[in-house]
Amino acid sequence: METISKYTVSFGASLAITSILSALLVVLKELNENSVLAWMKGLTSHHWITHGLFMVIAFFAIGWGLAKMNNGEGLKMTPERLVCMIASGVVIGGLIISGFYLVD
Amino acid sequence: MTEIILMAHVLFGMLCIVAGVWLFVDVLHANEANQGRIRTMSMAVAVLMWLAYLVGGYWYLNFYYVDKAIILKGPWPFAHTFFMEMKEHVAIMLLLLVTYLPIAAANNTAVNKGARKLVLWVVGLIVLIGIATDGAGAIIGIGAKVGLLVTKG
Repeated sequence: METISKYTVSFGASLAITSILSALLVVLKELNENSVLAWMKGLTSHHWITHGLFMVIAFFAIGWGLAKMNNGEGLKMTPERLVCMIASGVVIGGLIISGFYLVD
Repeated sequence: MTEIILMAHVLFGMLCIVAGVWLFVDVLHANEANQGRIRTMSMAVAVLMWLAYLVGGYWYLNFYYVDKAIILKGPWPFAHTFFMEMKEHVAIMLLLLVTYLPIAAANNTAVNKGARKLVLWVVGLIVLIGIATDGAGAIIGIGAKVGLLVTKG
């Protein structure tokens, strides 16, 4: 079986997870303008800056955490499964965002 | 000045797409000789998209409110309510994809078919989403234009 580096797997999985988290945060903040959106706006002056910062931090934190799993060997996954996970995460995230603004 | 900032945003985005297509073709023909170029181009894609994001973000936060008001009063309010809202959030996913690209491209795509497939998928998603957001940007621009036409009578 061909292997790829533990950071490729861990940060790839993080990319998929963060893409969906980002889409869910869009729905959460837009449906709670007076609480979540206002809080995010208060942190950096604009909710979009906070959103971007949160997602970049989450991407590196989750990726780093996954790379430390299995006594430092990192998350194990075949390249094919990783591709499937990344593509699914990005497509689902994109559909959640597009779908939300389409019906909102 | 605001037009130059906006054009710089589009320029960096388009260069990112072009660099992405270049990288896709290079990875399709991956061999030991082009591994260095693949890694350089993957970094170029990431840097160009970050520049597009930062420049576009600066314009969006400081100048877009004028266009937004025109769009919302015009015949194409969906240019903001759907296309801009969708674009500004899908762009964050695009940013994560380009940040990940150099990590994926650090593997040897000449000997590792799995890594090659992974980089092709990641850069393919970047190019497709890049084209989609570019198209959304064009619709936002037309939304402002038709809004101004109505205002001017």
